[in-house]
Order: sequence, then structure tokens, then C-alpha cells
Amino acid sequence: MKKALTGLVMLALVISMIGCGSNNNKEAASSAPASSPATSSGEASPKASEGDKKDPVTLRVAWWGGQARHDYTLKVIELYESLNPHVTIEPEYASFDDHWKKLAPNAAAGNLPDVIQMDISYLSQYGGRGQLEDLTPYTQNGTIDVSSISEASLSGGKIGDQLFAMNLGSNALLAVIDKEMLEKAGGTMPTQDWTWDDFTKLGPIMKSQGKILTQDLRHDVFFPFYLRGQGQHMYAADGTSLGYTDDKPFIDFYTMYKSWYDNGNLLSLDKLAQKKGTPEDGELELGNAVSTWGWSNQYILSSSVAKRPFEILPVPGWNDNKALFLKPSMYFSISKNSKVKEEAAKFISFWVNDIEANKIIMGERGVPVSSKVKEALKPSLTPDQAKVFDYVAWAEQNSSQMDPPNPVGAVEVDKLLKDVAEQILYKKTTVEEGAAKFREEANKILAKNKK
Amino acid sequence: MKLRENNHVVGYLFASPFILGFLVFIVYPVFSSLYYSFTDYNLLEAPSWVGFDNYHKMFTDDEKYMKSISVTLNYVFASVPLRLAFALGVAMLLNKAISGIGLYRSAYYLPSLIGGSVAVSILWSQVFGDQGLVNSALGLIGIESDTSWIGNPSTALWTLIALSVWQFGSSMLIFLAGLKNIPKDYYEAASVDGANKVRQFFKITLPLLSPIILFNLIMQTISAFMTFTPAYIISRGEGGPLDETLLYSLYLYKRAFVFYEMGYASAMAWVALIVIGIVTLLIFQSSRYWVHYESKGDK
Repeated sequence: MKKALTGLVMLALVISMIGCGSNNNKEAASSAPASSPATSSGEASPKASEGDKKDPVTLRVAWWGGQARHDYTLKVIELYESLNPHVTIEPEYASFDDHWKKLAPNAAAGNLPDVIQMDISYLSQYGGRGQLEDLTPYTQNGTIDVSSISEASLSGGKIGDQLFAMNLGSNALLAVIDKEMLEKAGGTMPTQDWTWDDFTKLGPIMKSQGKILTQDLRHDVFFPFYLRGQGQHMYAADGTSLGYTDDKPFIDFYTMYKSWYDNGNLLSLDKLAQKKGTPEDGELELGNAVSTWGWSNQYILSSSVAKRPFEILPVPGWNDNKALFLKPSMYFSISKNSKVKEEAAKFISFWVNDIEANKIIMGERGVPVSSKVKEALKPSLTPDQAKVFDYVAWAEQNSSQMDPPNPVGAVEVDKLLKDVAEQILYKKTTVEEGAAKFREEANKILAKNKK
Repeated sequence: MKLRENNHVVGYLFASPFILGFLVFIVYPVFSSLYYSFTDYNLLEAPSWVGFDNYHKMFTDDEKYMKSISVTLNYVFASVPLRLAFALGVAMLLNKAISGIGLYRSAYYLPSLIGGSVAVSILWSQVFGDQGLVNSALGLIGIESDTSWIGNPSTALWTLIALSVWQFGSSMLIFLAGLKNIPKDYYEAASVDGANKVRQFFKITLPLLSPIILFNLIMQTISAFMTFTPAYIISRGEGGPLDETLLYSLYLYKRAFVFYEMGYASAMAWVALIVIGIVTLLIFQSSRYWVHYESKGDK
């Protein structure tokens, strides 16, 4: 009995030492996924040993999204694995916020996934701080095939002349309108040349039916867009301050926003705070609001959830100073610490160029950047998907270059803008005071980028 | 004799998982966080030494930090006394010899068993939401309300306090044990002398229970200072509305994992440690004025 107990304790000790050992040794931890699970992949799929003699490889691929995206991404991964039996892919997926909370500690441990879904607001942080691999060599030697991808689409992933991220699809801002609800309420469908005033005028019409205009407009998206219409930019080119010094656009935009809110045309903040941010939970989709505002790739989910057709309009002011722009909806990057960069590059190339894969993706990560893929998908698009493809194609002809990737600190500035906007809507501060406060605090955050 | 020596080795072996775990998961992180608190560390680059900058910024140039302190103090000062009073009240009710009392005790302890969990916080956001139970109950008694108690800046923190009070179970159990230790004769003697229930409570129950109150007060104060899960879940990680539920640990977490400022967050953690230490010390110091020990022998 005693011997058995001692043995048990020894075992516990050994196990805990092993645990500590791999914790302390970062090198071992980061190289482990590249080598050790590969053996298990060999066992799992007998095809691997038969087909070709390539060394087994394990790729870690991380992305964010909702359930629908997780589902189809896993299908694409399955397809890739069946075509490349020597590759095993370990998926790591989460919601947007959690994705970034997981990545940073992984970066500190030198243990980032090989392929990382990247967002424009984090590109400078990860790329500029040496966490991402420059993809230029891979595009030059053809590992990532960019023959049918325009230079304009590629450039969205560049910082300076280094390509840190591969654009997965193009997005443009739009307004989604429930035309039927609007006309039932006695309004007329605006044309694409509508203005913010036209939108404001719909407020009372909808209110008489007990409906709201929209639940909210994302501050960090639509305020910078409004600035573009005024010929201004959110951030200075060097990223050490805001791009504007005159508070007038801020005051104009938030005076307008506040009037919608005060008139009961937006969802009240206490209810907004409870929204999960999924299409199932959206006020337009639930039939309580006449519009929703966002990126073109989100439209597809909206209409499929609501099960009724919507109309797409460009955001008012799209033609002022060519405010409209195309934005990479998201990217794939390769981490600097990856041991299998070559294989990671092949996976990315497959993702953006393979037609079968894109028939599964169907533009959910933005309109494909490869012209060949775009052509090949056309016949199989649903009417809703076709609407988005057409809108983005139209936007491409009517847009100007997007702003460069947000500087470091932009995540905090975005939160600050949301805070200030809420203080204005809760009447804790005036629009003018809020404008000044936002400018001063944001400049303070961005000033840290001065070297 | 040999056997005895062997026993030493076995003893250390038994303790070794704990000792190793303690060194690796407690001691090492604690001291590295002290080091990081003097650095600017964004996780993506190596930390760079900045001296006392983080501490300096905290107290001179961070409005949100001050806000989080005031929110946390409000939370602690409201939730701890309420929770203790509630726990004591329920403990006194359950300190009766009626049939099925065990069942009641278990039932009242239940909220604490599931207490710190994510599920309860999610439940809470349903109960106090705009379509929630509270509004339905108000509707039944004729008060129409469709505000979300969680989304309303003036009530949001109170929903968290209510959640904390609802989880009174562990303090209640300790109170219950304490109540059982008070000899019945004291009450009998007092009632013979004509003391009513209220007087008995203040003259017998409270003084004899005061060491237990001290224990509960300290434990609950420390855990209230460190409350994180309910605020994180209910406000969806934001601490909103208008930062009204931005508890200290939630703000620390945001600094660390949303803004990638590990150095600043470490400094915040050390300030919290010191403040909680001081508050605990103050409670101990004050105890000699209000805690009554039956045996004075130790003094």
C-alpha cells in the first residue's frame, strides 16, 4: 500500500516536472507543434504514407468569427488536408476580442500560430513590432500566386514596402435598407445620391410606425468615413497624432448623431449594451429598424438571417472628396516564429486562388481579390451574394485609396471615441466639449508613437 | 530508524507538487510582475525599463484609473456590509430547530456554489435586462418599465452589488457555526432578566459573534476588491455603461489584454496589493475596539 502511494507521488512529481520543463523552455514549446503532432497525423491518415514522401507538417491556423464562419472554414481546411495529405491543420478560432487576447501572450512566448487572421487595426502593432513575416519573397517566387491579384488589392497589407499580410477579400461600407418596411411606413426609397439629411428625414416617418432608423452606427467606422468626406483623415500619416486639428467635423457629425438619438431614432444605449453583435440579434434583422450600417461582407449574413430581401445603398457622402474606399476585410499573415513558413504560404495561396475552396467561402471574408476566382464564382452566386459582388465592383470604380493601416494605439483611441460618444448621448458632456476632449486625449495616446 | 528517514523523503515527495507549483506558478510570476511594473511591456517586444513612470501616470494622468477606483470603493463599501448583514440574518433564521432545516440550509447555500461562475453572470444579465424578470415583476405590481437595469448608468453597479449579496452562502455557513457555539444559557438568563430579542441580539449575539464577523469581514473585503467575473460578463468586458461597472480588476485586465500594456497592468496589480494590504491592516487594527474575545488569556 505504502509503496503504491510512494509510486503515485513519484509519478505526480515527474508529471509536474515535465510540465515545468516545457514551460521554461520556450524553444521546445514553439517547435513542438511543428514536429511532434506530425507523427500522430501520420497515424491518423494512412493516405499520408502512401501518397507522397513529403515530410508530415502541422500548421496552426487562427482566425476569429461567428459560428457560420467557423463551420465553413473548417470545411476549407478539410479540403486542403485531403489535397495535401502530408499537412495537418490545427484550427484555433474565437470571437474577435478573444482572438486578440489569445494572440498577444502567444506572441510573448514566441508561440504564435503559423497562419494568423489579421485585422487592419492590429497590422501595425504586429507587423511593425517584428511578429510577422514579410511575404514579398513568397509572392516573388510564386509560392503565393498573385498573378491574378491587382497591386491595389495587395497594397492593403503593406507597411512601408514590406508585405506583412495577404488580403483575403475586399469590403466597402454600405447601408442596408429594408425597402418594404420603409414604403409601408409611407417613405420612399432614397437614391444612391442621398444625403445624411435624407436619412434624418426618415426618422419621424419610421417613428410613427414604432420603428427606429438603425440600432447604431459604429463610431470607429463611420466617424473616420465622415472625416474623409470632409477631406480630412482620422490619423496623421506618421501615426503620432490625429489627422485633424479642427473640431468642426466632429461637432457636425455628433450633433447629427445626437439628434437621431434624442429623437428616439436609434436604439437606446442601455438596450444596445445588451446586444450580442450577431446578425440574429440585430434590430434590422428582427424587423425593428429600417436599416443597418456596416461592411459589405456582413450583408450576406444579415439577409440570410432575416429571410427577406434588402436593398443596398452607399453611405451618404460617398462622393464627397471620393470618401468611399475599398478595404481588405481581413488578412492572413505568417508569424515570424513559424517553423513552416513555406507550408503556411502554400495554404494562403490556396485560400486566395483555389476555386473549389472559394466556392465554400463564397465571399464571406469579402469579395475575393483574385480576378479569376471572382469570374469563376459568378455563375454560382445567390442573388444576395451577387448584390454584394456588384456593389463592391461599383465601389471599386467610385472610390479612392483607403487610409493607411491604423497606427499603434488606435485600439485605445477607438475605445475612447466610443466612450466620448456615449458621454455625449447620455448628456454628461456637450458635443463641443466632447470633441475637444476626444482630440486631446487621443493625441496624448498617439504621442507615444513619437520615437 | 531507517523507516523514519524514509518517511522524511516521502513527506517531501508528497509536498513537492505543491512546492514546485508554488515556486513556478506563484513566486516566479509575482516577482516578474514586480519587474514588469517598472517597464513598458506590450508583449510583442521585449520590455523596456521606464522606472516609476507607470505609477506616476496612474495617479496623475489617467482619468479612467481614478474612475475605476471610485467604482471599486463604491462596490466594496456597499456590497460587503450588505452581504454580511444578509448572511447573518439568514444564518439566524436557519439556526432554529425545525424539521427539514438541513434542506433549507442547502438551498440557501446553493447560490454560492454556483456563485463565481460565468453561468450566473449570464443569468443575471437576463434577470436585469430590458425583457428580464425584474421588469416583469415590476409590471405585475403595476409599474411599467422597459429599461435595462444593466445598461442604465445609475443602476448598473447596483445589479452587481445585488449579485454579490445574493451569494451570501459561505459567510452564512460560518455565521451559522458561530451562532451554534453561543451557549443557550445566556439567552435563557437574559430573557429571565427581561431582555427582549433585540436587546439579546445586541448584548449577546453580536459580541460573542464578533470574532467571526471580523473573519468574514476581512475575507469578504479582500474578495470584493478582486471581483472580476460578474463585471466582465455582464458588461461584456467593457465596464460600461459610462464606466459605471469598471471595477479595478476589470480595468487592469483591459489594460493588459486589450491595450497590451502589461507593464502598466502589473503596476496596477501592485498598487491593488498594497491597498488591500493596508485596508486589511486597518480592519485588524480597528478590531480591538469592537471584537470581543471570551478568553482574555492570550492578551
